[in-house]
Amino acid sequence: MTDLSETFAPEFRLEPLVLTGGSIAVLNLQAQIEGLEGCDSLAEAASLIDLLMLQGLILGRISNYERAAQLADRLVDVAATDSVAYVTRGRTRSVFHRFTEALDDLDQAERLSPDDGAAKQERATVLLALGRYDEALLTYGNAADRTGRFQDVAALAGFWAERGETVTAERLYLQSLGSYRGISPFPIALLDFQLGVMWMRLERLDQARTCFETAIHRVPAYAAAQGHLAEVEAALGEPEAAIARLNPLAISADDPDYAAQLARILGEMGRNDECLGWRRLAASRYDALIKDHPAAFADHAAEFWLGAGDDPQRALRLAELNLRIRKTPRAHELLAQALEATDGRGT
Amino acid sequence: MSDHFSGPRSLTDPAADISDVFAFPDPKDPRHLVVVMDVFGKSGPSAVFSDAVIYRFRIRSIDIAATGREAAFAAGKSEVIFDCTFDVPSGPATAGRPVQLGRCLTPSGGMISFVCDDENGGAGEGVQVFAGQRSDPFFLDVRMIEKTAATGKLSFKPKGSDTLFGTNILAIVLKIEWPMVLEGGPLFAIVCETLAAGKRPVRIERVGRPEIKNVTLSWKMFDQVNKDLEIRDLYNSEDAFDVKHDYFDAYRVRMNANLAFYDGLDGKIDWPFDKHANHPLTKLLLADFLVVDASKPFAEISYFEIERAMLAGRPHTTPGGRWLNEDIMDYVFTLYVNGGNGPPVNDGVDGPIAFSSKTFPYLAPRNVPKGAAA
Repeated sequence: MTDLSETFAPEFRLEPLVLTGGSIAVLNLQAQIEGLEGCDSLAEAASLIDLLMLQGLILGRISNYERAAQLADRLVDVAATDSVAYVTRGRTRSVFHRFTEALDDLDQAERLSPDDGAAKQERATVLLALGRYDEALLTYGNAADRTGRFQDVAALAGFWAERGETVTAERLYLQSLGSYRGISPFPIALLDFQLGVMWMRLERLDQARTCFETAIHRVPAYAAAQGHLAEVEAALGEPEAAIARLNPLAISADDPDYAAQLARILGEMGRNDECLGWRRLAASRYDALIKDHPAAFADHAAEFWLGAGDDPQRALRLAELNLRIRKTPRAHELLAQALEATDGRGT
Repeated sequence: MSDHFSGPRSLTDPAADISDVFAFPDPKDPRHLVVVMDVFGKSGPSAVFSDAVIYRFRIRSIDIAATGREAAFAAGKSEVIFDCTFDVPSGPATAGRPVQLGRCLTPSGGMISFVCDDENGGAGEGVQVFAGQRSDPFFLDVRMIEKTAATGKLSFKPKGSDTLFGTNILAIVLKIEWPMVLEGGPLFAIVCETLAAGKRPVRIERVGRPEIKNVTLSWKMFDQVNKDLEIRDLYNSEDAFDVKHDYFDAYRVRMNANLAFYDGLDGKIDWPFDKHANHPLTKLLLADFLVVDASKPFAEISYFEIERAMLAGRPHTTPGGRWLNEDIMDYVFTLYVNGGNGPPVNDGVDGPIAFSSKTFPYLAPRNVPKGAAA
C-alpha cells in the first residue's frame, strides 16, 4: 500500500496505513447516504448533510452541496433550538462562501450551546477562508494541543498547508498519519490533497504530483485530486496524460473546473476546435453557477475568464467580487492578475 | 470552492460498525450452532464489506463459576477463531448489488470461499458461511428510549415507531457443526469483532451482548464519577475476555449508575445493590459475550435465561444466546426496570418488517428500495 510518508526521510516513515479501498469507500458512502434518506432524527439528518457534502467533495458534484444546503435550511426550520442544526447549516453556507451568514449561524449555535466544539471548529474554517489567520490558528492550535486527536492535528496541518508553511505542514501531516485510528480513506486523502495544493501553489510540481497521486491511490474517484494532478501533468509537459485524465471528469462532473482546464490545455496545444467545445461548456456552466452562487464561484470563474474563457473584463468584475467577500492574499493576487489583463482599466 | 474543507470528520467506516450479534442452535439440527454478526446498519443497496477489515468470531468454551448473588462465568483460555475477509468488488453489479468475494479462515486453517449474497454461501470442514445484505432483524423505538433517559419516565407508546423498519444490514452467518469444529462446550461464549487488517490487526469494535454500549453504558448524566467520559471507544478497545483492570472500575461505575436509573423508572427498587455497592447485573453484563448452551434445543425466547438461572441458583432450561426474532428491547427493559417482578415493559414495537426464518441463512432477504422495486 503506497503511503506518502514513504517519500520522507526514513526516520519519519510510518507503517503504511490500513485503509478501506477507495472504490469500496465510495460505494459505501453512497450506501450510507441512501440509508439515511428520509430519516427524521436531527443527528441522522445532520449526518446525511455531512455525507452529501463529503460525496460532493470527492466526486466533484456541486449538486450535492446544493442539496445539502436545502436540507440544512429545513433542519434549522424544524430544530431551531438545537445548536447542531445551526452548525450544520453554517457548514453548508461556508462551502458556498456565504461567510457572514455562516458566522451568524455559528454565533447562534454558540448561544444555544456555549461549549459547542463543532461550532468553534467550523468558525475556524470560516476565519481561515476569510484570511483571518491569527484567529483561526488560535482555535486550531488549541484543539490540537488539547486533544492530540487525528482530526484536530489534521486540521492544523491543513491550516499551515494553506499558509504555505511547508515544514510545519509536513510535520503535522506525519503526526496526523501517526494518530489516525480509522480505516476510512477519505480523511487521509483529503489531507494528501491539501498538501498537494500547498506544493502546487509554491510551484513545487514534483512534490505536488506525489501528493495528488497518493490521494488518488487512496480514492481513485477523488475528482479534485485528479483535476489538480492533470494540471500538474500539463505544467510538467505531459498534456496528453492531462487530457486523458480530465476528459471523463469534464463529462461526468457538474463542476466546470475540469472543462475549463481541458479547454486551456487543448488551447495551448493548438487544438482549437476541441478547445472551443469545452470552453463553451465551461462558460455556460460558470454563468449558471455565478447566477446561483456568486460568492462561491467568483474566484474560479475569474480564473477561467482570465485564461481559456478570454474575457478579462468579466474576470475583473468577478475578482473584485471575490476580494469583497474575503481579503486573502490570493484574492488580492487574482485581482492584480485581472487588472493586469485589462491593462489597469477597472470596471 | 473544492479546495476548502473544515477538517476530516468522517473517520469511521460504516462497514466496520457492528450492529448486532446472535448465537443460537440451528432450529432444525442440534449438531449445529449458528453465529451471526451484523454490520453497517441502515445500509443502502451499494453497501459492501471493507477490504481493510477482519470480521472475527471468537468462541470460547465457558463454565458457570458461581451462582446466586455472586453469579459469574469462567471462560476458558483457549479459543477458536473464524476470520472473514473480503475482496474489492469486481465485475458488473447484479440485481443492483456489487459482486464481492469473501473467504472465511477456519480454526483448523482451512479456507472457505464464498460469493456475497449467494444464499448457499460456501461450505467446508463442518462450517457453512453466508455473507451479504439482508433485512435488519433488530427492531426498537430509539426516540422513546432517548425520551425515557431524558425525562426519567418510561416513554414507550402502545404503538411505537420502529427506527429500523425496512432497513438493511450486512450480515455474516456461520453455521458450525460444533462437536466437530469447536473445543469443549456445550456452553460457549461468543464475541464478534472488527479489526483493521495489517501486520498487527487493531480492534475497531467488539460486540457480545445486545445493547450494552448504547442503552446500558452510553448515558453519562447518571455517572457521578465520569460525567464527561464518552466511554464506548475505550470499551470497544478492550478484549472481552480480558478487560483491563485499570479501566474496569470506570465501566462498573457507569453501568451501576445507569442500571440504577432504569431500576427506578417504576418507582420501586427491584435490584438492591450488593455489599460491594454493585448492581446485581453489573458483573454478568460486563462479561460481555453471548453465552449459549449448544446442547439445548432451539428456543424462540432465550436471551439471558442462563444468567437469570444462575442468579436464581437453578439449572438453565434454554440454550440462552440470542435468536434473531427475539424482542430484545422488551426483554432488556423489563429486566432492567423490574427484573420480572412487575408487568413486562413493552416498547410498542413487536417485530421487524420481516421475521427471520429457521433455514440458512436465516435472516430475511434485503428490503429493496421502493424506486428500485418499481
